[in-house]
Amino acid sequence: MLPAPKNSCRNPNRPPRLHARIWLPIFALFLFIASCGEERLDDYNDLSVELTNQYGEAVTFPDDLKGKPVLMGFIYTHCPDICSFITANLHSVWEELDETDEAHFVLVTFDPERDRPEILHNYAEAFDMNRSPFTFLTGDPDQVEALMKRLGVRSQVSYTTETEEGEELYFLNHTDKILLIDENGRLVMDYGGSMTPTGIFTTDLNELL
Amino acid sequence: MYKLYAALFTAFLLLTSCGSGGEEESESFRLDGEGIEVEGAWARPGSEGRMSAAYLLITNFDETADTLASLESDASQLTELHESYEMEEGMSGMREVELLVIPPRSTVRLEPGGLHVMLIQLLHNYSEGDVIELTLEFTGGQTIPVTVPIRP
Repeated sequence: MLPAPKNSCRNPNRPPRLHARIWLPIFALFLFIASCGEERLDDYNDLSVELTNQYGEAVTFPDDLKGKPVLMGFIYTHCPDICSFITANLHSVWEELDETDEAHFVLVTFDPERDRPEILHNYAEAFDMNRSPFTFLTGDPDQVEALMKRLGVRSQVSYTTETEEGEELYFLNHTDKILLIDENGRLVMDYGGSMTPTGIFTTDLNELL
Repeated sequence: MYKLYAALFTAFLLLTSCGSGGEEESESFRLDGEGIEVEGAWARPGSEGRMSAAYLLITNFDETADTLASLESDASQLTELHESYEMEEGMSGMREVELLVIPPRSTVRLEPGGLHVMLIQLLHNYSEGDVIELTLEFTGGQTIPVTVPIRP
């Protein structure tokens, strides 16, 4: 005769074994920590902003950028110092990540009236960034203004000067930031744009790749 | 014995700190020049009709201060001295600097995020590998032409 299975005499009213009582809370804690790791600062999936890239093609934010993480900076092309710094930072991060095409590197102008697609095209050309995975975006001024408000990018006219032809040039005070957005259109991190060491962007973006 | 080790350790720390201080000093100021010298110049890429910024170090080896009086470049319609500065809440601002005094026996750095030569309305596209010419005039009488390479 075969011996009875060991659990055949288990009392169904007996409390769960000790190890189950220990493992359940640990598992719950693990789930909690895992969900904390996924915590995002904002979710842009309620947006659908029609923008235009440097080639004149339509790009909808965030939908057309989903599927890959996005490193996004904010510039205007009349800005020689801080915005060039931000632009160069994105290029450096791309180089530090072995010229990856697994992420989008995006620069959005907050001066859309002057920074039309062809202007962004020339700007990208000067920085040797007129190619994938770099995208320069402009759009309808009202749409861009609403997007900037949501993304926390402010700008205001600081002062004006005149060219030799008597043309008035205005310059802007503006937010200096770069955002890291995950592949699902959610904000992971909000950085200072020009002064943050590129190694920080590289490390954080690499974690999403 | 303990006192001896402590003294040796203190001396080591002092020497180490002197060494690093010396390096910073020699990077920012050399003792073997005269008048005004400009070095380390470079400028950002830029597209025609837009802007670029040039950065450089200006060292005054004299015992008296000198002042950067004017700037000129073959690359832009206007060439001015500007300064980026941090405003409230992560905002970045920029203002024109009328006069830049170079104190005696010291170096003033024009570098990203701070003082810079603003090249307004570039006459051409400038990318990495190109060079532009920049001329700095000082009230002390020196006029210094600089060849400035473009790099991102």
